[in-house]
Amino acid sequence: MGSRPLATPLWASLGVLGLLLVVAAGVGSVPIAAGEVVAAVGRGLWRAVAGPTAITTGLDAEATRVIDTIVWQIRLPRVALAALVGAALGLAGAGFQGVFRNPLADPYLLGAASGAGFAASLAMVSGGVFGLGALGVPLAAFVGAATTVALVVALARRGWSLPIVPLVLAGVVVGSCLAAGTSFVLLAAREQAAGVLTWLLGSLAFASWGRVGTLLPSVVVAGAVLIAAARSLDVLQLGERAAAQLGLRVEGLKLAVVAAGTLATAAAVSVAGVIGFVGLLVPHAVRLALGPDHRRLVPLSAVWGAGFMVLADLVARTVIAPAELPVGVVTALVGAPFFLLLLRRRVAP
Amino acid sequence: MIFTRSQLPSAMRRALLVAFACFGLAHAAWPVTVVDDLGRDVTLSAAPLRIVSLVPSHTETVCALAACGRLVGRDTWSDFPHEVRALPDVGTAFAPDLEAIVALRPDLVLVDEYSGAADALAPLGLVVYAGTPQRLDEVFGLIERFGRLLGAPTEAALLQGRLRGELDGVTAVVANRVGPTVFYEIDPSPYSVGPGGFIGTLIALAGGQNVVPAELGDFPLLDPEFVVAADPQVIVLADAPYGVDAASVAARPGWAGIAAVRGGRVVELTQEQSDVLSRPGPRMGEALQLLARILHPGAF
Repeated sequence: MGSRPLATPLWASLGVLGLLLVVAAGVGSVPIAAGEVVAAVGRGLWRAVAGPTAITTGLDAEATRVIDTIVWQIRLPRVALAALVGAALGLAGAGFQGVFRNPLADPYLLGAASGAGFAASLAMVSGGVFGLGALGVPLAAFVGAATTVALVVALARRGWSLPIVPLVLAGVVVGSCLAAGTSFVLLAAREQAAGVLTWLLGSLAFASWGRVGTLLPSVVVAGAVLIAAARSLDVLQLGERAAAQLGLRVEGLKLAVVAAGTLATAAAVSVAGVIGFVGLLVPHAVRLALGPDHRRLVPLSAVWGAGFMVLADLVARTVIAPAELPVGVVTALVGAPFFLLLLRRRVAP
Repeated sequence: MIFTRSQLPSAMRRALLVAFACFGLAHAAWPVTVVDDLGRDVTLSAAPLRIVSLVPSHTETVCALAACGRLVGRDTWSDFPHEVRALPDVGTAFAPDLEAIVALRPDLVLVDEYSGAADALAPLGLVVYAGTPQRLDEVFGLIERFGRLLGAPTEAALLQGRLRGELDGVTAVVANRVGPTVFYEIDPSPYSVGPGGFIGTLIALAGGQNVVPAELGDFPLLDPEFVVAADPQVIVLADAPYGVDAASVAARPGWAGIAAVRGGRVVELTQEQSDVLSRPGPRMGEALQLLARILHPGAF
């Protein structure tokens, strides 16, 4: 049974992730003592259980309200959203690298990012789609990402089979087309260009519990599908023909993994924009550290992805506060050297 | 208390002024509701005393309404009037430091309509006004709305009057003069401005003939050939603070023959001049005077 080799690293990783979440919730541009943060978390939980009640604290009511707002409505949703986005991209990356049997595959390979970017920029320039207001851009991005991947799959399919090389090529071509479309939108609507660019670079600055809630179901579903497919992905690494001879329904697996990976990617992009490098880096890091077994790789990519994003976002919002680095810049700056280090360690001995 | 004859009038005047000011703040028909550019109702139950501005032109407008002292935070780019530089910097509208803003306990936050800052700030229990003027008449409308929101309708009326006077003063001087053709460069791509936008309207009011036609939009990216063919008599370099100068313009292929280059009328703006021209706010009279002096050097 495969649970024994998974258990130790999984629990250890979850422990580290928990620690990272606590640290990230405790740090921000407004200095709040650790005890106050813990007290604010406690007050929020108490209110959730006992309803809105007055709670006496050492501070005056106004200061308490400010701390509660910062902890509960700014930091916690942001940290939770970072973790979920990281988990989604880690899952999608592990799934795509497994199904394409290619180490360069990442969640955006089939055009999810450019599709989301094009749809989101159109939505922003046209001032929210169909009066959906704040919901418009995330919804447009999600639909754009999912539609693009569906189009790519439709272009590449041969009957009921999904050959890998045409799929990747179609993804690259459709992606380039849509990226050009996004550039055109940017040029045409210069007034909104700054907003569109910020979104394209990826940001968790506008995190909210609402966004956490919209992302969570997609991550859970995608995670369940990919974890269930883990053993089949292991078999697939023998090659499509060998896997088929062993009784694997290769085409069904490919479709399921692409669909689950796309769901996770589209959901992540829709709430946080296009954040690069996470989906590429994290599965590699897990593979280099713990080996290529997908039953470990898939769940640990989710956990490590979550931890990596929380860390990257913490760096993004603190190093040059009150200004903020685009979190995608941090994932690349932190991720690339770390990745090279792992690679060298792997190659050297 | 007994007043001497000479003290009485000034003391009374002062008392009356204070009374009127308090009356204005306390009784100016609160609560006040205005509609912002996102179509949201912005309601204040009392005059705001702790304002955070995330837009440089909003910062300028608040200060022009004599409410600079009520600002408690500003965005990174707000730098005028100079006293606002001492205020806490809370990031930019596109990446606001939300917790720093909440910690300032503002009773009014001023943002633009594009960045999404309003969607992030309003759920935190803050009163947010979202919207920026893009045209001259919208500046007057914004001043009126801010006057009501801030409980400073008199200041707003005075500011509108002053601006109207500044604009009319310039247009009266340039009215009967034939203005030169102008190319206004925002960056060396070259991006320019169309006649419909804020800067384009100022150019027209200052008597200049923009070489960019209206159908290209407010911020068109031009083919350099188009500028050579249009042969403007004046080139205004709003990108001069970023390293573009008259010499580098003359060195562009084909540009040496442009009338503005031959006539030595390539104008390099300073950063402050470029800010004045690009912020639709209380300094737009100054912006128009600046342009008019550039376009009609003999008239002022």
